[in-house]
Amino acid sequence: MDDHKSIYIKNAVWLAILTLLEVGVAFLSISRMGQIVLLFAFAATKMMMVAMIYMHLRYETKVLQWILFIPIPAGILFTVALMYDIPFSWVG
Amino acid sequence: MNQTQSIPLNDPFGKATNGKLGMWLFIIVDGLSFAGLLIAGGALRAGGAEWPVAGEILNIPLTAFNTFLLICTSFTMVMALNAIQKGDQSGLSKFLIYTMLGGILFLGIQAWEYHHFILNNFVLTTSIYASVFYVTTCFHGLHVLSGVIYIACILRAANLGVYSADNWNNVEILGLFWHFVDLVWILVFTIIYLI
Repeated sequence: MDDHKSIYIKNAVWLAILTLLEVGVAFLSISRMGQIVLLFAFAATKMMMVAMIYMHLRYETKVLQWILFIPIPAGILFTVALMYDIPFSWVG
Repeated sequence: MNQTQSIPLNDPFGKATNGKLGMWLFIIVDGLSFAGLLIAGGALRAGGAEWPVAGEILNIPLTAFNTFLLICTSFTMVMALNAIQKGDQSGLSKFLIYTMLGGILFLGIQAWEYHHFILNNFVLTTSIYASVFYVTTCFHGLHVLSGVIYIACILRAANLGVYSADNWNNVEILGLFWHFVDLVWILVFTIIYLI
């Protein structure tokens, strides 16, 4: 078995394991905030694994990697800004 | 003086072809479309819309299986690229067929899920939650359908012997799109089904 194939299989297995863990966390009786943080951490890890290994992003140049990653914090910033706005949506 | 000679062609992007850069650009734009839907859902939820707890309405084990299925198709897609990079044309066709069948099965399970919900009066207009669920998952489902059609086109060219160890750029571009569909489902599954 060549190296690439072995990496791809390991990646698929880990993605499946993380999906099972995610489902487990959704039904775990822990604090709501802890649950959300864990679920987002698992999702982010899985997304990185798909992007880096299956989409071969780790072999791309730094410029391309930065272009793809910059919108993510921007999206988070917009979401946080929107959430802060919601308590005041009744005004006006 | 010929000024074009001094400009490094695509240098910041290494060996990435124009087609590949175009697909990455499309992925960024499409990713922002999904972000818009998911952020809108989050804002509606935070704004006080009634939201069921995980598993109350949606079938999580079935969708977890569907997620696993999509992960498997990502594996078969990357194996298709791996095969043609070595000049294995029959391997390319075989793995593309597996990926396409996986995508069709994913859509079939999603259609069955919708059918079950509609029978139980959980439709687009039932609640804000239902609207967010149907709009987001339908938008993703359309991407899977587009992917299946895209694979069928590449498969046809593969069967005609178009691709080889020296010509696999279109297969790689197809792979980028398909992996993106998988990647975005990971987020949709987490936000819509689990949180």
